[in-house]
Amino acid sequence: MHTLATAPAAGRSWADLDDFQAFIDAGGMVEPGDDMPPEYRDEVFRFIEFHANSELMGGLTERDWIPHAPGLRLKQVFLAKTQDEIGHAHLLYMVAADMSVKTRTEMLEDLFAGRSRFHNVFHYQAVTWADQIAIAYLVDAAAFASQRAVFAECTYGPYKRVLKRIVAEEGFHMRHGEEMLLRLATGTGTQRAMFQEALNRWWWPAVQLFGPDSDPDDPLLRWKIKSQRNEDLRAAYVQKYVPLLHGYGFEIPDPELRQDDDGRWHAGPIDWEPLKATMRMGGPDSKRRIETAAQNWADTAWVRDALDRQGVGT
Amino acid sequence: MTYSAAVRDYLLAFADDEHLVGARHTSWIGLGPFLEEDLAFCSIAQDELGHAIGLYGLLLADVGELDTFALLRASQDYRSCWLAEIECRDWNDSLVRHWLYDRAEALRWEALAASPDADIAALAARAQREESFHLAHADQFMSRVAANDTSGRIVDSIRRLAPVAAGIWDATAAESDVLAEGFVTDSSADLAARWNDQIRADIARWGLAAEWSDAGVVAAQQHRTQRSEGFDAFHDDLQRVLSLDTAATW
Repeated sequence: MHTLATAPAAGRSWADLDDFQAFIDAGGMVEPGDDMPPEYRDEVFRFIEFHANSELMGGLTERDWIPHAPGLRLKQVFLAKTQDEIGHAHLLYMVAADMSVKTRTEMLEDLFAGRSRFHNVFHYQAVTWADQIAIAYLVDAAAFASQRAVFAECTYGPYKRVLKRIVAEEGFHMRHGEEMLLRLATGTGTQRAMFQEALNRWWWPAVQLFGPDSDPDDPLLRWKIKSQRNEDLRAAYVQKYVPLLHGYGFEIPDPELRQDDDGRWHAGPIDWEPLKATMRMGGPDSKRRIETAAQNWADTAWVRDALDRQGVGT
Repeated sequence: MTYSAAVRDYLLAFADDEHLVGARHTSWIGLGPFLEEDLAFCSIAQDELGHAIGLYGLLLADVGELDTFALLRASQDYRSCWLAEIECRDWNDSLVRHWLYDRAEALRWEALAASPDADIAALAARAQREESFHLAHADQFMSRVAANDTSGRIVDSIRRLAPVAAGIWDATAAESDVLAEGFVTDSSADLAARWNDQIRADIARWGLAAEWSDAGVVAAQQHRTQRSEGFDAFHDDLQRVLSLDTAATW
């Protein structure tokens, strides 16, 4: 594993991809000033841009229920959590922009035009307060597991350094989700019924967040951006959350869920069509989510223009 | 601390203003004009809600649980001003409200910081530290945007919001008793005069072509007992979850 104390060494170059791979395999850390292979730059940039987009759109998913928070302190808490997500997007867009593939504005405009992607779960709408809790409990946990697996190795230095903070905050969000779920699980019949319905809506999207099985030669694994295969992360998630949810008395909406002789839980066959639909911007709430963001971006262009005239870049 | 009915009404007006303006500010989370501003405005919203919690907390010893009190009262029992209640759909309106409101808020905390009541003075001292950042944010943002706003949106927002903003200074019905008790020494009219001077100076400093007169308080607020158009929908939004099951702990 790399350490964050690794000194940035800029301006290095490699003879070819084999030479670069040897550097990665020896525990090397790539820095922005390095003459990294274009293949690596493109893959890592696309991955970080996807992560940044997902943080921003995650914030937009959570914002819908903040006005209805059932208490002032809860409103503060959910605001702070959503602010963290926007803050993560802010950090990640800066890291991605430093790779000189696209500027931050270009990334945002691609996102708002539907030209770039973000996580499947943020193409869904939270329809009750319990969905807000399901996002905090299920989605944040899935995101945390996924990001922690990237942080574990992550050969791109700037990304690893911001992930240290992001993973720490996401871990806090996950604990917050657990506390919020506990309130519903030990609450009134209304609350328990609300959460069961939310679980029915969010279980499969959360499981699908890890993506289909990794390709045998996934370059992100080969270049040690990812440290674990998608299917392994997904299996660990199912293994952890099925017994927890059963323990709270909730039912997992998977008729073919089974437990093997060793006590391990296995999800039934996964229908990947909903995930593919989100990647085509055809998810249940993709259109509204993108249109809201795009319209707002257009409506507030005058602010950015005014600051540009002042010489304050945004 | 047991407060007189007059002081309770006076503090409730400020608490409701802080609560509702904070709640309105939250509508920009994720939709700020750029990411840095998104983060800053969200922090301001959290601070205002925190101020509301502090003020409600002073009133609640014999009133009841915070969230029920803050969210489930009948609309006629709120004492908010209309500037805090209204929806600002455009960023320019929200920015101008932020500037006008925080200018006034700082003066209100300053007055409370001088109160002989130790609890409110301590709360005010804490809020003043946060308020200095809110004022700096409003000043820096307005000074930069206003000078370069070729669209005229800022000036339009000032013209549109000025009459509503003056309602901040609509005193609660028994404010004279609050002054007579010595809880505060500055009346709303005193603070309004200073606020008008500050607003006029800001407009001049930023070179805005907006006339500012010492507009009178909105009579229709009737000492903050009347709610603005659109309040009921806002109130329904605020209490949507809490009212689902009042026996529940959320």
